[in-house]
Amino acid sequence: MKLFGWQRLAASSLLLTALAVAETRPQYGGRLRVSLREAMTSLDPAGGTSVASFARRNLTLLIFDTLTTIDDRGELHPALATSWQAASGNQRWQFRLRQGVKFHDGALLTSDNVASCLRTANPSWKVFVDGDFLVIERDTPDPNLPAELTLSHNAVAKKDADGKLSGTGPFHIADWQPGKKLVLAAEENYWRGRPFLDAIEIEMGKNLRDQLIALEVGGADFVEVGPEQIPRVSMDGARVSSSAPVELVALLFTRDIRSPEEKLLRDALALCVERASIRSVLLQGTGQPTGGLLPNWTTGYGFVFPTDADLPRARQEREQVRTAPNWSVAYDASDSMARLLVERIALNARDAGLVLQPTTAANADLRLVRIAMASSNAWIALTNVAEASGLVLPKGGENSVEDMYVAERELLTTQRLIPLFHLPVTYASAKTLKDWTLGADGSWRLADSWMGERQGNQQTVSGKP
Amino acid sequence: MQNAVYNSPIRKMVNPASRAAHGFRVVLLLFPIVLSFILDARAADSTAAEQQLAGKIAAVTGPGAVVLSVENRSSLGKKETDAVSGRLRVALESLGVRSVNPNQAAATVAISLSENPTAYVWVAEIRLGAGESSIAMVSFPRAEGPSFAHESMSTALTLRKIPLWAQEDRILDIAVLDEDPPPNPGPKHIAVLDPEKVSLYRLQGGKWQQEQALSVSHSRPWPRDLRGRLVPAKDHLLDVYLPGVLCHLSAALPLVLTCRESDDPWPLGRGLSPGTETSVNSSFSATPGPATPGGTASVASSLSAFFAPTRNFFTGALAPGVGKFRTVPKFYSAAPLPRDKYVLWLFASVDGQLHLLDGITDQVARLDWGSDIASIRTSCGSGWQVLATSSANAASASIASANSASANNAGDSVRAYEFADRAPVAVSAPVDFAGEITALWTETKGDTALVVVRNQEAGNYEAFRLATACSQ
Repeated sequence: MKLFGWQRLAASSLLLTALAVAETRPQYGGRLRVSLREAMTSLDPAGGTSVASFARRNLTLLIFDTLTTIDDRGELHPALATSWQAASGNQRWQFRLRQGVKFHDGALLTSDNVASCLRTANPSWKVFVDGDFLVIERDTPDPNLPAELTLSHNAVAKKDADGKLSGTGPFHIADWQPGKKLVLAAEENYWRGRPFLDAIEIEMGKNLRDQLIALEVGGADFVEVGPEQIPRVSMDGARVSSSAPVELVALLFTRDIRSPEEKLLRDALALCVERASIRSVLLQGTGQPTGGLLPNWTTGYGFVFPTDADLPRARQEREQVRTAPNWSVAYDASDSMARLLVERIALNARDAGLVLQPTTAANADLRLVRIAMASSNAWIALTNVAEASGLVLPKGGENSVEDMYVAERELLTTQRLIPLFHLPVTYASAKTLKDWTLGADGSWRLADSWMGERQGNQQTVSGKP
Repeated sequence: MQNAVYNSPIRKMVNPASRAAHGFRVVLLLFPIVLSFILDARAADSTAAEQQLAGKIAAVTGPGAVVLSVENRSSLGKKETDAVSGRLRVALESLGVRSVNPNQAAATVAISLSENPTAYVWVAEIRLGAGESSIAMVSFPRAEGPSFAHESMSTALTLRKIPLWAQEDRILDIAVLDEDPPPNPGPKHIAVLDPEKVSLYRLQGGKWQQEQALSVSHSRPWPRDLRGRLVPAKDHLLDVYLPGVLCHLSAALPLVLTCRESDDPWPLGRGLSPGTETSVNSSFSATPGPATPGGTASVASSLSAFFAPTRNFFTGALAPGVGKFRTVPKFYSAAPLPRDKYVLWLFASVDGQLHLLDGITDQVARLDWGSDIASIRTSCGSGWQVLATSSANAASASIASANSASANNAGDSVRAYEFADRAPVAVSAPVDFAGEITALWTETKGDTALVVVRNQEAGNYEAFRLATACSQ
C-alpha cells in the first residue's frame, strides 16, 4: 500500500533486522535500561517549560499524568480528565476529573491537587474548583486549551513534606540521583493498568557515542541516536526508530532588525544556505529541508515556504549593502552535529559575501537552535516555537489552517529565524525490547512495551513424563 | 463569566453514554453502505472546498486567462485527484478564470492538494506576472473509511475470513446468539464484550441496532492486554469472564448484568460438549444446541483454568486437570484435540513453548507459533484442527524506511494445523490480517473461531469469523 504525507512519516520507523519471531502476547517483567544525553536535575513537571526537551517530556510522562493526551493525528483523549466543556468564546473551560485515581504515595487525586499544579505551571491562568468541576479561565479565547494540557509541564504532581514527588503515572520513582541516574518501578495499581515492565533504569549525561557503545556491548537497551550514527546502528543490527520530523533546526538572530540594510543581509543569508546538500551529506539523508517553522506533515502547507538556495539572488541582496558586519554564530559545544552545520553554513555565507564566525560563546549575533516540537497540535507547536525564539505569536483568527498559515508567515516576516531543517528524533533499541512504538511526535509509549527473550524459529519436541 | 453556558461534553469521553454512542458507529456487515456514505460525505466537503478555493483564486486574479496546474501531495488516488482537478477548473471557469497554455497568460495558479493528520489542505500559489506570489488555501476534514482485508488463498484446507464486527473500543470476545440457518447463514443477534460493557446488537431490516449496553463493574484497574470471554450458560444468557471478575447476564428481559470479584476458573474448550453447547433464540432463552459427534469431547469441555487477575495469562492451575496433571506452566491459550480415547491438550505457555498433555505425558515443543491457539471441529482431514497465530514477518526481516514508501504494515496471520503423531502439520495457507491479533477464541458451536485484530491503520478493532472449507 502506498503511504503519503503524514501517514508515511508517522510510519517512518527503520525496522532493521527484525528477528524471525512469532507473534506473542506481551510478557510482564524485565528491566529496561535507558541511556540519555540530557542530565536532568529535577523531575518536577512544574520546573519544566512548554518547550521541554524530548527526554524531559518523555520521562515526565512516565511518572506523571496529564488531564488530556493527544495522538499522532492531533486528536485529544481523556486522561485524568474524563470530559471537558467550553463556555461560549472558549475563554472558560471546565473539566470533570476521573474518580478514584491515586498518587503513588496512596493519596487520592483531588481537584485541588490539579488546580494547584496548573496554577504553578501557568501563572496567567485562573484555575479553581467549582463543585465537581475544575475550571480554567483565560484572558483571551483559547480553543486549544485542552490540547495545551497534554504538555508535560502541565502534568499533575504532588510533593510531600520532605519534597518527595509523587505522580499518578505508570511508574513511580524508586531511586533518583539528580543529573545521573533515575530508576522507575512499575506502579501496580496504575489506573490504566500496570505496565508490563517491572522497572526502567535511566542513565543520564551520556554522549551519543557512549550510548551507542553501551547498546552494542549490552549495557543499555534503549539509546538516543544522532543522524550521522543511523547507518552504523543499522549495520549493527539494532532496531532503529525515527519519529516524524519534529525538531526544528534554525538560525536565530538574538535581536530584531534595526535597519533596511540588516533586512537585506538576513535575506541574503536565508537565500544562500544549501539545505538539500547539507541534508544529504551532513544529515545522511534524514530530516527535511524547511523554509517554514512547522513541518509540512502537521500543517499541509509547509511546502509553500521555499527551501532552495538562490545564490545569485543572495549576492544581489548582499551587494545592496556597502559593508556587512561579521556575524558570530553560537552553537552547543556538546552537539557535534551543530558544529558541522554551522561550519557548513558559514561556507555558504562566504559564497554570498557574508562572514559568519562560529563560536561556542553565549554572546553571539546568531545561534543555531534546535527546538523540539511540543505537540502534534500545530497551533501549540507554533506557539512553542515562538516562545522558544522569544517571539510573540500573533493573536486573532479562527483557529483554522489558513489562520495558522498567516500567523506562521508573520513570525517569519520578523526575520528573527531562518528555518533550516525539520529533523526526526531517533532511538535505537535492543532486540529484546518488544512492542515499543515511537509516536510521530517523538513520544516513547513505553508503558505498553515489554522485555522478551524469544529464540529464533526452530521446531523441536522433547518429552517429559 | 459566572453564568457561563457550556457546550456539550467533548467527544471521546469514557462514560457509558458516549461509549454507547460509539457502539452505534460500528461498521458491521454494512461496509458498502457505510463506505458509500463516507464517500458521498467526502465528495460534498470536497465540492464545497473546490468552490471556495476557486472563489479565493478569482478574487486575486480577477476574470481572465491563467496557467493552471494541479499537483497531488496527499493520499488521494489518481481518480479522485482528476475529479477534483476537473471540478476546480469548472468552478474557476464559472468565475471567469480560464485555464490556457503556458505561453498564453502571464498569471500562474499552482494548486497543491495536500493534507495534514486531520484535514485536506488545498493550496493555490498565485503568481501575477513577475510580482510576488500570493497564497490561497482551504481545508476540510479528512474522512477515513473502514477497510477490510481480503482473505488469502488456501492450500489443503481453506480458512475463510468473514468480517463480523468493527469498533473503536477493544473487542475482547463476541458471542453469536442467533443466526440464520444454512444455506445463507449469518449472525443476526450478537453480544460484544469490550473492557467496559457487554453490548447486544440485533440485525433488523439489514441494519444493526443496539438493543442494550450493560456496564461491567470492576473495582480494580484492568491489566494491560486485557482479555475476556463470553460463555453461554445453561440457566442464564451468558457468563462473562474477565481478569478477577465474573459477570452473569440474565436471560429475562430487561437484561441485567451482575458482576462480582471472582477467581473462578475460565472454561477452556468451549463448544465441545453437548452439555455446554447452547444456542439462544430471539427471546433470550438459552436452549441446547445440536449434539457434537463423538463421545470424547465432553471430557475436553470439562477443563477450566485459573486466570491471573492482574495479568494477561492463565496461572497454569487447572480444574480439574488433564489426567495426572493439575498444573502446567503459565500459559496464554489452550486448545483440545479429541482423540479416540483421550484428549490431547495443547497449551501455549508464556515462555513461548507449546506443551502437549495427554494425561500421562507432557511433551514440550518450541514452534514458530504465536501465543494464541484454538481448536475447531471440521469435516476436513482428521476432523479437528488447531488454529495458531504467528507474525506475518516470522520468516523474513523487514525494512521500513522513512525515505521509502514501502513501510511494512504487515499484520499477524492464522494458520490451521493437524497433529499427526504429535508433530504439527500445516493444513492451510496462512490467513493474513491487517494488524496484531488480540484474541483468538473458538466460537460456541466449535466449528468456527473468532479472531480480533487491532487495525493500526484504521485505528480500530475488527472481529472476524474464521470458517473452514475442505479442499476438493
